[in-house]
Amino acid sequence: MNAIRTGWFLALRQIRRGGKGTTILIIFIMVLTFLNLVVVSGLLLGLITGSFEQFRESYSGEVIITSAPLRDYIENTSALISYLENHPKVTAISPRHSVGVSILGTLNDLPGKNERQNKISTRLVGIDPDKEEVLTGFSRFIIKGEPLVAGEEGYIVMGYNFLRKYSSFADANIPGLDLLADVDVGSRVKVTLSTKDGGIVSKDFIVKGIAKSKIDEVSTRMFINDSELKRMLPVNKEQYQEIAIKTDPDFAPDLVHELEEFHKPYAARIQTSGAAIPSFLRDIETTMAVLGNALSSIALVVASITIFIVVFINAVTKRKFIGIMKGIGISPLAIEISYILQAFFYGISGSIIGLILTFGVLKPYFDAYPINFPFSDGILVATASGAGIRVLILLVVTLIAGYVPAKLIVRRNTLDAILGR
Amino acid sequence: MIRAENIVRSFGEGDLKITVLKGVNLEIKTGEFVAIIGPSGAGKSTLLYQMSLLDRPTDGHVFIDNINTSHLSDVEKTELRLLKLGYVFQDYALLPELDALENVALPMIMAGMTKEDAFKKAEQALLRLSLLDKKHNLPSQLSGGQQQRVSIARAIAHDPAILFADEPTANLDSTSADPVMDAFLDLHRDGQTIIMITHEEEYAKKAERIIILKDGVIVSDQKIKK
Repeated sequence: MNAIRTGWFLALRQIRRGGKGTTILIIFIMVLTFLNLVVVSGLLLGLITGSFEQFRESYSGEVIITSAPLRDYIENTSALISYLENHPKVTAISPRHSVGVSILGTLNDLPGKNERQNKISTRLVGIDPDKEEVLTGFSRFIIKGEPLVAGEEGYIVMGYNFLRKYSSFADANIPGLDLLADVDVGSRVKVTLSTKDGGIVSKDFIVKGIAKSKIDEVSTRMFINDSELKRMLPVNKEQYQEIAIKTDPDFAPDLVHELEEFHKPYAARIQTSGAAIPSFLRDIETTMAVLGNALSSIALVVASITIFIVVFINAVTKRKFIGIMKGIGISPLAIEISYILQAFFYGISGSIIGLILTFGVLKPYFDAYPINFPFSDGILVATASGAGIRVLILLVVTLIAGYVPAKLIVRRNTLDAILGR
Repeated sequence: MIRAENIVRSFGEGDLKITVLKGVNLEIKTGEFVAIIGPSGAGKSTLLYQMSLLDRPTDGHVFIDNINTSHLSDVEKTELRLLKLGYVFQDYALLPELDALENVALPMIMAGMTKEDAFKKAEQALLRLSLLDKKHNLPSQLSGGQQQRVSIARAIAHDPAILFADEPTANLDSTSADPVMDAFLDLHRDGQTIIMITHEEEYAKKAERIIILKDGVIVSDQKIKK
């Protein structure tokens, strides 16, 4: 107990009256280490998490219901929609029809000899523009032209990635990848689809808008009014392929469970947004996490060596005074504790400043100005629990890195230390 | 009080072995003021280090209050130094980050005294050395003589049984050295046991017993008639 009191007494004064430059340098290193631990891995994870967020915000909502494997549509859709529309915790839904179509971009000229038609195969989605707007804010994806308006017919909004003029793949020569040439807002395109009874339905549309998003479900699909698609299919009752649901994110797993109970006898796949994310993206997330942890570990080792060197040099330069303290009866343990407490001070100061920078500056900044990656808007993933664990790790490493050199110096012969030999 | 029995201290090995102390026997009683003098290389400081438990003799034993210190661990010796010994170093040896009051109070805090009590006793010690007005000065803000007096205050504040002083005036001019010597005499009058090493015969004569060391052996040990 006396050793702790004396260690505290010494540490407090050594920090307060020691070299300000050294103290600032060590704390600066600790801040950088903390940022390296939290921000680097957080940004790596944020690249992929950003795409998850966009998947949820731009397409799936918190819960997405899709048709079950080998089924054409979600069964018993009417009852399901009615249930959802009356659910107190569901704030919005957007049912969508979705069908495979081919789209012809050049209607007047025939292709030349050995030339392929200016045609693509893609999915055509029927949406209720008002419901879609509430759920995903669909109009924000329109980079040219205008969004669809409920009730209007003959207009199509096209995802930008299949249009040569806009696509990010336009300059890549990928065999088999067809892009529509010379199609822009105001162009006329022909949409052809097969009906369930084997018939072929074609209809011309005027391109009303171009939609751009980093989510394939928007950028590679085409959109028309749902009522018009229903007539083309034709379906005379609600047989949707997708229902996106907006609810409290924390409630989403409960809602999935609830809907599974409600919908048990009928075929549908009910998933939270997170569960609906393709597994390869999950694999990327895992890889990023591993990469982030690897980088963090290296940062931690570098930081611990730095702290070790700084404390060691600090202790070596004070070797004579350490000897004197032992000479006048201060226990080695008290001296070691004083160094441990100083290291703890550096660690906690660096962590506090790091936390303020992370949650007060960097996270809000990256939320407001995400990093513009081709496949996502990268954000900074930093949670209180994750940061807390890193603070603990940093403190443990700092304490060890502070204790070991102090121990090495303190255990040396007292008289040799006093006489500097 | 303190007894050195056949103290031998050697350094190095084989042909390079140097024996600095060659079987020193010495006993100092409570309340004595002993000055150890001798030419450079005589082994004065080495003898003081053995008696003050800062070093371990190659052979022989040091008894403090009849405790054979040869069998004590380093930690136990440190504790014994804290409780029973006071030490005044030649170069003052104050901790630069602690002010005068804190330097003096530190050993008492280590000994288990509350900070308030330790500071109170430290103030008394500084008052005795006429340094109370400098109690919040850092060592760098004190003159050499003042630093040495703070060092004495630190050495006596916890009422040690024996006060060791290793050439306490060597780094001081006579103006600064005289008050330091006066402080030792004052302490001795109050019954403090003091063992002091000095080069200066003039100061040695102020002690009541002078031991002359030469080539690692005591060549003279006599009381001074006042």
